[in-house]
Amino acid sequence: MGKGYMGKVLFVDLGKGEFKEELIPDEVYEKYLSGVGLGAYLLYNRIPKDADPLGPENIFGLMSGLLTGTGSLFSGRWIAVGKSPLTGGWGDANCGGQFSPVIKRCGYDGIFFTGISDKPVYLYIKNNKMELRDASDLWGKDAVETEELLLKEHGEGTQVACIGPAGEKLSLISGICNDRGRIAARSGLGAVMGSKKLKAVVLSGCKQINVQNKAEMKRLTQACNKLAQLNLRMGPGVMNGYLGALMRAMPTQMAQDGMLYKFMLRQWGTVSLNQFSPETGDSPIKNWMGSNKDWPMRKSKSVNPDVFTKCEMVKYHCYSCPLGCGGICSMTGKYTETHKPEYETVLALGGLLMNEDADSIFNMNEILNRAGMDTISAGGTVAYAIECYERGILTKDDTDGLELTWGNSNAIVALIHKMIKRGGIGDILADGSRAAARKIGKGSEKYAMHAGGQELSMHDGRNDPGFAVHYSVEPTPGRHTIGALLYYEMFQLWKKVKGLPAVKPLYHKNLKYVPDMSKAIMTSANSKFMNVVNGSGLCMFGVFMGATRIPTFDWLNAATGWNKSPNEYMDIGERIQTLKQAFNIKHGIEPKNNKANERALGIPPLLEGANKGRKVEIDKLMRDYWVQFGWDQETGKPTEATLQRLGIA
Amino acid sequence: MPYTIMTEACKGTTACKKICPADAIKGTQKKLHTVDPVLCIECGACGKVCANAAIKDSLGNICIRVKRSEWEKPQIDNKKCMSCNLCIDICPVACLALSGAMGKNKHGRPYLKDDKACIGCSFCALECPVDAIVMIPPAAG
Repeated sequence: MGKGYMGKVLFVDLGKGEFKEELIPDEVYEKYLSGVGLGAYLLYNRIPKDADPLGPENIFGLMSGLLTGTGSLFSGRWIAVGKSPLTGGWGDANCGGQFSPVIKRCGYDGIFFTGISDKPVYLYIKNNKMELRDASDLWGKDAVETEELLLKEHGEGTQVACIGPAGEKLSLISGICNDRGRIAARSGLGAVMGSKKLKAVVLSGCKQINVQNKAEMKRLTQACNKLAQLNLRMGPGVMNGYLGALMRAMPTQMAQDGMLYKFMLRQWGTVSLNQFSPETGDSPIKNWMGSNKDWPMRKSKSVNPDVFTKCEMVKYHCYSCPLGCGGICSMTGKYTETHKPEYETVLALGGLLMNEDADSIFNMNEILNRAGMDTISAGGTVAYAIECYERGILTKDDTDGLELTWGNSNAIVALIHKMIKRGGIGDILADGSRAAARKIGKGSEKYAMHAGGQELSMHDGRNDPGFAVHYSVEPTPGRHTIGALLYYEMFQLWKKVKGLPAVKPLYHKNLKYVPDMSKAIMTSANSKFMNVVNGSGLCMFGVFMGATRIPTFDWLNAATGWNKSPNEYMDIGERIQTLKQAFNIKHGIEPKNNKANERALGIPPLLEGANKGRKVEIDKLMRDYWVQFGWDQETGKPTEATLQRLGIA
Repeated sequence: MPYTIMTEACKGTTACKKICPADAIKGTQKKLHTVDPVLCIECGACGKVCANAAIKDSLGNICIRVKRSEWEKPQIDNKKCMSCNLCIDICPVACLALSGAMGKNKHGRPYLKDDKACIGCSFCALECPVDAIVMIPPAAG
């Protein structure tokens, strides 16, 4: 009887055109789970120090999660892993859709690619047959066209992950797409796939995924589904903005329950935050210089949640998701439909650039998805370019005549097209803001809002210092999908994991900004837990429901038959996090250099708005976090004793 | 336990090989066919098409041929369904798909898109966490 995982991975040597299966011992899964953990375990020793991320020595993998296909819910995330060309360290990115289970249905927990092909190819696997096929005809086509052509050729039941032109052109902010424009966008792994001349991975399989205790899996899933189906009709969408304003005005904070967020996700998706977040101070405005005063409700109204539900034709469910936060929206212009833009996209291409034109956001969402470029990093880089233009560092001569002023939607769209095509200034900007600032110089580095090379997400650490910490300390910096103090409240881990502090139902807001050790305990718990989640292939929006409502640990036990305690799973999360950090150290990353841009940390503080006067004590918070993991408190490097304690060779 | 082919009964019609969704059956016309035990997913399609009763199921019982028009098909209860797609993923012949919006309900529901491809394996019904799928003979539908 299986244990939820398939017990083997496939290595594809693109240079030689060879395939090699590798069996993975049970002990490895017990130490690292599958997904991101197994990926880190296999790549830590195999990618040599100083390997060029875009060279033949880098290894790139597509992983499924341990719980994917086991009858659990929210378990449809697939994970791309490799050395990131954007940060120079560990890279991973995950994405939903229907692609994750098919990796396992082909018999593998992950498929890895080594070497470089001399011509564009795609991998085709059907059941036990596998081959590299010529992709010359597909090279240059966008992600949606590529997927449609491959589906037409290989038929129903086939799943495709591919890169668009951005990945082909080695844009360091490119990702890997599936399901017509969903994208594993962060860490720049699309460029790694492009560097290997691997256009697509096309999988079709029907292998069974067996678990130890099928009846228990079903029982847990049914109980979880009852809660997932609870519905609270909210609205109208603009009310979310007023709710945000109310929360900003109150001196106290109610511990947030993820069930509320679940209701919002079910009704609108992540766009439910489009007005809520700017009002609370959660959204960075005008390249992190502005505040809710610069982006008031009358401006954010153009992207209020109901705008999206009005053009939503059908809800989009990822594999094993009972919620359906995504959607397919109709739109005008060259393309007639697009995946419903996410909150991150709307803010990065909206408030961050002072762009009120909702149509342009829909348009950019689709063209970036088709190009396979990260909307967060693209928005962050455009914001950098606009600030440079406004400050006279870039001129019209540099921008080929584009007037890059705040909110000039036509110029913003034109610049995005240039970045995708790498034309003119777009060639410099296509590698993200850090690389662009290094080329443009003239003191513009301070306007590049990144951590360790990766553009910051659309959640402000001056409002929730937990975001600032995770942006700065994670082996994959600049990411919002790992933790925040808010996430700690929603995960409710203290109800399952012994020794973690509970959050009071009502507390004074100022407590959030006291940089005491409790913040490090909470943020380190987030990191550990999200490694378990990303090892299982679960969706963060699912686990937001809270540890007692979504049975992450119980599902893992029922699938594997392990009988591990939640604390033991957190230890696995700690091991994965430390291994990823060790990967970074091996590749020459200095953890303290990954600190987020000072502006995002309130240095200097904002003079008005929701986050007025706030400064994040980042040095102390980073040190405390490192101590929690047993990493050196001055350098952030895992100590020998810690590596030995966790059994990392 | 995978399905097996009895050497003495197999006439090499290739019917089982053609229908096997897992590409688990090897053999050429009029020659003995074999089931790869690693690849077999126990869907039972081979047993239902073999005219020579040459196939044993995982319990060792001899499979009896059933006319394709009598194979059971999934019937999906849209009220119970939560659109999780588990049934669509597990279907070995990809005959299920998610529908578009259903009136006011914007959550699509799975439906039997290609009933000719369906092999009646009932994997979808077994996988459904909320028991929204039942297998019924075509006449009853």
